[in-house]
Amino acid sequence: MGEAAVKSAGAPLSGPIAEYPYRIEIATRWGDNDMLGHLNNVVYNRCIEDIVTKFTRFELDVDWLKDDCYPVTVETLCRFHKQLSWPDPVLAGLTVQSLGNSSVTYAIGLFGEDVLSPAATGTFVHVYIDRVSQRPVPIPIAVRNRLEKIVLSRAAE
Amino acid sequence: MPDATETRADYFDFQPVQTRWNDNDLYGHVNNVVYYAYVDTAVNKFLVEAGGFDPHTAPVIGICPESHCNFLKPVAYPEKLEVGLRVGKIGNSSVRYEVAVFKDGEQTPAATGYFVHVFVDRESRRPVTIPDAIRAALAGIAVEGDVRNGTHG
Repeated sequence: MGEAAVKSAGAPLSGPIAEYPYRIEIATRWGDNDMLGHLNNVVYNRCIEDIVTKFTRFELDVDWLKDDCYPVTVETLCRFHKQLSWPDPVLAGLTVQSLGNSSVTYAIGLFGEDVLSPAATGTFVHVYIDRVSQRPVPIPIAVRNRLEKIVLSRAAE
Repeated sequence: MPDATETRADYFDFQPVQTRWNDNDLYGHVNNVVYYAYVDTAVNKFLVEAGGFDPHTAPVIGICPESHCNFLKPVAYPEKLEVGLRVGKIGNSSVRYEVAVFKDGEQTPAATGYFVHVFVDRESRRPVTIPDAIRAALAGIAVEGDVRNGTHG
């Protein structure tokens, strides 16, 4: 994990929701707001984790409990641009920012009503490790193929 | 910018953290997002204790425009942790805290990162000059400058 941890994930994207090919809506809850009346900054990070893990589970078909190797989080970043608050839902978008041998960096955008201008942007780095050795391993080929499709479609735009 | 070679000696304030059962995720270690809650709590506790910040009534509040974390080694409930704090940069209305999470009794960090506060008017939410008492507290744990008097342990 150390090797990946010293790399910097790079800057998040800044554009509209259309930049992100994978999108989910996240409901907010009363307790997500802090005493300042907006979503606590930690909750933004929870939303970012939510879209990364759902993408990993449902689009990459990774099973954390059974697969021989699985991703762990080595670095995350969030920039907060606008306030979000309960009870409004959050629209989250994800794309693949860069793909290494054992690591993948996602760029994420969180949006409120205005889908042209993000309320928050972030990056999130997964490193695939072997379940037994806990050491980094190459991203499994089936997972890599799915990630590369997104990288290629971004490059074609 | 904090890095993995740092030790406790690089930080000037420490806030204790008792991990909770539900901080652990499926991996059996503290979930990445929970580190941000530790840091959020530690930074605000410092402002309350050292800067006289009253979160219920203060006319000026700190809001977070950016946060970052590198996860170096796992921690897990029921371990006791400490969040190490220092101030990397103070501007007119914003401060950048550099932070590290330490396991109880360990010298090298389990995670390092930073957390930025911009101080705003509670009502208008527009940036304002950092209040004097808070600025003095922040200067007391700052990396640069001569305000520190060597009393930090």
